[in-house]
Amino acid sequence: MHDLAEQLVHGLTLGSLYAMVATGLALMFGVVRLINFAHGEFYMLGGYAFWYAYGELGLPYAVAGLAATAALAVFGIGYESTVIRAILSRSWHVQLIATLATSITLTNLAILVFGAQPKEVPTKLSSSIVEVAGVRMAWQRLLVLFAALIVFGALEWFVTRAKLGKAMRAMSQNREACAVVGVDIQQVALITFAISAALAGGAAVLVSPLFNIFPDVGALLTLKAFAAVIVGGFGFVKGAIAAAFLIGLAESLAGGYVSYAYKDAIAFVVMVLVLLVRPQGLFGRRIGI
Amino acid sequence: MMRAARGAVAAMVLIAAPWIVAAIAPGQQRYILHVLIFTALYGALALSYDLVVGHVGSLSLAHPAFFGIGAYTAALLATEARWTLAFALLAGMAAAGLAALALGVPMFRLTEHSFAMGTLGFALVVQIVATNWVEFTRGPLCVTGIPKPQLGSFRIATLPAFYWMALAAVALVGLLYHGLTTFRLGRAFHAVRDNEVLAAAAAVSSLKYRMLAFVIGAAVAGGVGTLYVSYVGVLCPGELTVSLSVNLLVMIFLGGVGSLRGVLVGAAAFTALPEILRMAPTWRMVIYGLLLLVIVIRFPDGLEALFRRRAATGA
Repeated sequence: MHDLAEQLVHGLTLGSLYAMVATGLALMFGVVRLINFAHGEFYMLGGYAFWYAYGELGLPYAVAGLAATAALAVFGIGYESTVIRAILSRSWHVQLIATLATSITLTNLAILVFGAQPKEVPTKLSSSIVEVAGVRMAWQRLLVLFAALIVFGALEWFVTRAKLGKAMRAMSQNREACAVVGVDIQQVALITFAISAALAGGAAVLVSPLFNIFPDVGALLTLKAFAAVIVGGFGFVKGAIAAAFLIGLAESLAGGYVSYAYKDAIAFVVMVLVLLVRPQGLFGRRIGI
Repeated sequence: MMRAARGAVAAMVLIAAPWIVAAIAPGQQRYILHVLIFTALYGALALSYDLVVGHVGSLSLAHPAFFGIGAYTAALLATEARWTLAFALLAGMAAAGLAALALGVPMFRLTEHSFAMGTLGFALVVQIVATNWVEFTRGPLCVTGIPKPQLGSFRIATLPAFYWMALAAVALVGLLYHGLTTFRLGRAFHAVRDNEVLAAAAAVSSLKYRMLAFVIGAAVAGGVGTLYVSYVGVLCPGELTVSLSVNLLVMIFLGGVGSLRGVLVGAAAFTALPEILRMAPTWRMVIYGLLLLVIVIRFPDGLEALFRRRAATGA
């Protein structure tokens, strides 16, 4: 029984991670109709930024975390204004291959700079255990769940209340009309990439103390986050978040009860099953942030 | 006439390459032949990939999986059941083709990015299975001791013999590629690639032609996988990584998507360049990644555009 509860907590942790990465993917797709194959590498870079700030410079956790998240937001802006701007008007083939090329470049640069060995960044919270209703878990897991709730709440507020967020939603609905009424399309795209990259970086700050950081963590993560985006209905952010938690739980339960070695295949199996039964995704095919 | 004569000379040079290499660089003969064998095998693999990406416009990332399925089928049949190369080759091609057929049914319901991601997922799953199903694939211990191929009483064991085998393979695949993409079938492929709706209006089923190219491409990739393991003699799960897809993309985009000559030139440049520069593998992938990024943004038609421009202005 406690075993099951522990698997569920683990699944929710994974779900939070996948949801934060998938949200970024879905936001980018919603606003500029582009799938960023290098999104998992944003998470990887966030992890190394956090490792550097926390493990090497010895900054406090909160400061190091905010610094790493901010660094990723800046990276997202840089990425948008170089690679993405060059491929936005091109065919989806070109976009896909260019972002895939970015992903390969970043992964191998990380191997060169940081080495292929995983980096461990345990924090006080990840090494101290709390017991909630008889279930033992690291404080860090509670922090992940709590922070994910706050992040998604803030995001919901941002896209429904803030002016820039409304512009993002408007762009996901009709790009031309936005241009006509004077929305600065380039600025909105820039902000979207900053937010999406910051989400991936923030996810890395939250879960890196639990899981290690290594250079090729991104490829599988991109795939799982994309599976969540597809399962949730392409470009529908709330659907992607729900699907990400579904995949996280499925993966954790399958890893605990079926086979640990094959847990990484679960997201793909879920994706194919959903596509066979409901090609429009679990929540219907509508684009909406 | 000139073209035919030039082609005949090129063919003779390629066939005589082992002797030419022996005459010019006797000390380096083994190394140069090894690079040439890899170039030919990569050329055949890139052609089979371009059949899917360049001619029906489906950006599949499952090619390493088909290469691997063919390679594992052949390697296990050759080591466990003592099958000879010819039968193992057929089995490897059939296994890869059938896998493509089974994968194509759900995958061709997807469009664009989703198709790419779905096929990428399949490639990752195949790699996970190859690594973890230790009783069957021997996992990270690799399949070793794969026997040298035997064709009747003729044993392919020397480097020149392997070179001719690889050369024959790339020539056959080239012929197949040319035949499939030039005539009526080729026009149907291109119709599906360039405008699916218009093709459907002319009763050209996009699913049928995409599936055809996908399955043939996969079967050829499986065949190349078979030849590859019979040459190398060892097969590890690491051969099936996603980076193989990236290598293939670099080759076809470097040379020129959808062009026989372009893809072969791309494969040759791709295989020879790192050997000449002697780069470390990690640096190699960084450079390939940047190269692919620059090519796809700035020169989407690759080297082939350069050749065509020269042909138009010069001769």
